[in-house]
Amino acid sequence: MTTRDIVFVVVGAITALSALLSVTTRHVVHAALWLLVSLGSLAGCYLVLGQELVALVQLLVYVGAIVVLVLFALMLTRAPIGPNPDISTPPWQRVVAVVLGGATTALLAATLLPVLSGVTVDLDRPRSGTLQIAQAVFGTWVWPFELLSVLLLVALIGAFAVSRLVIRQGVDAP
Amino acid sequence: MIEVVRLVVLLPALAGLAGLLARRSAVAARAIAVGSAVVVSALALAVALAVSPMNTADIDSVGDLPLRNLSAPLHLLSDQLSSVVTLVVALVVLAIQVFTVWYLREDPRYAQFAATVSLFTAGMLLVVASADLALTLVGWEVMGWCSWLLIGHDSERRSARRAAHKAFLVTSVADIAMVVGLIALSVRARSTDLLDVLTVPMLPGADAVLTVGLICVVIGVAGKSGLVPFHDWLPDAMEGPTPASALIHAATMVAAGTYVIARLFPLYATDETARTVLAVLAAVTMVYAGLLAFAQTDLKRLLAYSTLSQVAIMLGALAAAPPEVGPVPAVSHLVGHAFFKALLFLGAGWLAALVGATALETLRGRARDRRALRLAMAIGLASLAGVPPLVGFFTKDTAIDAALEGATGSEGLRAWVVVVALFATTALTAAYCTRAWLLLDTPRPTPTLTPSAANDSFEVEHGGAPARSLTTSAFDDAMPATPLAVGEPGVLAAHGDHKPITLTASLSVFALAALTVFGTLLLMGLDGAVHVGLASAIVSLLLIAGGCFAAWSWSDRGRRDAAERLPSRLRAGAVVGFGADTAYARVGAGVTALARLVVVLDRDVVDASPRAPAVAARQLGRVGVRVHRAVPASALLGVVVGIVVVAVLGVTVWQ
Amino acid sequence: MHLQYPLALAALLAGIGVFGVLARRNAVLVLIGVELILNAANLILVTVGSQPDAPFAAGPVLTLFVITIAAAEVCVALAVILAMFRGLGHIDLTADPELTDNPADDPAADPADDPDYATTGDRDSPRNEVAS
Repeated sequence: MTTRDIVFVVVGAITALSALLSVTTRHVVHAALWLLVSLGSLAGCYLVLGQELVALVQLLVYVGAIVVLVLFALMLTRAPIGPNPDISTPPWQRVVAVVLGGATTALLAATLLPVLSGVTVDLDRPRSGTLQIAQAVFGTWVWPFELLSVLLLVALIGAFAVSRLVIRQGVDAP
Repeated sequence: MIEVVRLVVLLPALAGLAGLLARRSAVAARAIAVGSAVVVSALALAVALAVSPMNTADIDSVGDLPLRNLSAPLHLLSDQLSSVVTLVVALVVLAIQVFTVWYLREDPRYAQFAATVSLFTAGMLLVVASADLALTLVGWEVMGWCSWLLIGHDSERRSARRAAHKAFLVTSVADIAMVVGLIALSVRARSTDLLDVLTVPMLPGADAVLTVGLICVVIGVAGKSGLVPFHDWLPDAMEGPTPASALIHAATMVAAGTYVIARLFPLYATDETARTVLAVLAAVTMVYAGLLAFAQTDLKRLLAYSTLSQVAIMLGALAAAPPEVGPVPAVSHLVGHAFFKALLFLGAGWLAALVGATALETLRGRARDRRALRLAMAIGLASLAGVPPLVGFFTKDTAIDAALEGATGSEGLRAWVVVVALFATTALTAAYCTRAWLLLDTPRPTPTLTPSAANDSFEVEHGGAPARSLTTSAFDDAMPATPLAVGEPGVLAAHGDHKPITLTASLSVFALAALTVFGTLLLMGLDGAVHVGLASAIVSLLLIAGGCFAAWSWSDRGRRDAAERLPSRLRAGAVVGFGADTAYARVGAGVTALARLVVVLDRDVVDASPRAPAVAARQLGRVGVRVHRAVPASALLGVVVGIVVVAVLGVTVWQ
Repeated sequence: MHLQYPLALAALLAGIGVFGVLARRNAVLVLIGVELILNAANLILVTVGSQPDAPFAAGPVLTLFVITIAAAEVCVALAVILAMFRGLGHIDLTADPELTDNPADDPAADPADDPDYATTGDRDSPRNEVAS
């Protein structure tokens, strides 16, 4: 149990706890804020794992952009402020959800943990730094990278087009 | 000479086109119409003079039709028969075109009328010059269409439109049989060429295709010529302007049937059944139409029924003549009838234009103080009655003599029927001609004025437009109430203006009068066209005298209408043709009802089975939509359950 | 460092994410659950990629890609949610959907238009009042 392990367990505990709070809180806005905490501490986990670039991108994109977008969406959809019991599904569905979430966790743990059981890695002298990642992105991965830029453009146009649609329905807002 | 024959057919068609293009200018339209008629007459005269008795030419028209198993050379021909008929048609059309210039000179649609007359002439000349059944059919249908246009010329009048539709529908229905018949004959010969059709070798025993084909042609001819089941369109066709009536009745449309059967006569001579059908139809028609003509209250309708009767005489001659006599007597009567009937119609148009009506009651005594018109009508009616030495006497007696020859010779009972009908018709014709003449010529005796007659005379004194407008307004008012009858029963709308007749128009009438007197000389050139038997001549002269005397005595020496002696109900029925129009309407309604039934059967019974899968698929789709209409949250739950189950299964089984 | 801890955290995050997806009826909060699952995947990628013999720097590079894709996904998802809110007036996923394939069944729909969707080009449409 090295220092890194201890630090990781602490940061990971924060991540897991805030994630749990974000899916269980009754405040709509709090859910987004807890997600912020969870994603931020996950960036910390990446730092502990020695991937400083990924951690920075995580902070920039997730914390800086995505969570803000989610907050915007909550505002635009007139999310209620304060505790609200109506944001969760009926109890029986939540029970099934707990079972399914636990099953997922168990399944992944049972599948992944034996693969890397007992594997340790010395992260004090990392093999893949930012330089290697940059060389890989603009070398080996350059075509998927370009494809991703197209994907972002398409998503932008698609989001614009979809937001101009109106679903015709007899039910109107009060 | 070959070029001339082609030109005779082509020129009127081109004139029709040019007349339409030049319709803005009345002068140009007149020049084209009359000019083309003059040129065609001159060309026809040249052909008639040049053709020697046995000269028959196969003349290419537009080349073969490229058909696989049917040869269709589309030839024209020029022989004695066709050249004489061509000349007669050309002359009559010339007279009509000249007359029309005067008769319709106030009409804004004169140019269209004259162009249609030209096209109509082209159709008739094509039928006459055709040596190919396909070309005959083309000309036949062109005439059908043009008759629709001509009868419906006054298209703002509902009755005229109705008469045009009626004529077109009735003749077209008969044309169905005509097409079938011509196809049967062509298929039998594997060619549409007339000579091939006539010379195809006879099969031993009964030839069903031939019989069916010939009977179908008879039905088609019955439609155009107005034999009994189809006769009622012709009196209604009087709704057209008088020149159109003259054209349709005198030399072209109704006579075309006679000409076609005359061309096919060698085939008819071999087929008893078809000739018997023709004989019965002709015999019934000639007597029936003669009886109806006697009762008519309108001069033009009287002439229309006389046309039916006279055309039936021609067809009767064709049905009864022995093969060695041939079709010439019928064509001879066609020629004579063309002259005197055109004369009568133009004279009637002249009179109607001056008086403003065609009702006999209004026309009563109106011909007496117009010397020239009186003379023309006298010649026409006398020729229609068959008084010698006018052309009507000779041609009718030629027809009677041919039938008599058939009756005493090889033709037997069928010919006797025709002969008896012919003699009865002779007496009837004389009777109604005498009646018409007495009505036109004898001034109305003043003491016997009925209220309506007084009204008429009042109109007549004022003359001109008031009388005509009264007549037409009464006519239009009567139409909606009696959609089947032609307005006030038996009275047609008057046409034309009241301007004095021009010299050229009266000259055209007198040219026809001259042809009626001296036309026999023209027919001398045609072998067997004038052949008066002594016995038949004497019998028919006696019958004519008897008919005239009967009409004269019935009318109290002209002081009253001979038809008034008839029972009033019988007369009223005769005026409207004994409800033939109603019967046509019923047939039409029946056919329409049948069509509706077929539509219903097709849509709701036959089409139901192909449509059923579509309906079923649609319903199935609705069910599917309903099944898939889930709440998103529960659906998501189901999806995740499925994923986890599959993943668990995958991991456990894989391990 | 033991690599089992990050993997355990990833499994935990995935489970929490699944729970978040299923336990929420607000569509935006469902989206938060989806983000958590995506982050679990990212963590696995980073963990595996931090092994010394990982070729092509695949772990961190693919993580970057996934983050990009997640950004695009959130973008479109939020647009859909907004459209749903403007059309229906709510983003409740437990509401009964009233879909129809027959224009005649739908009193609000103009039969000339597509029964389910129509672009709102004009600002006077009643649908726009819901959103604004």
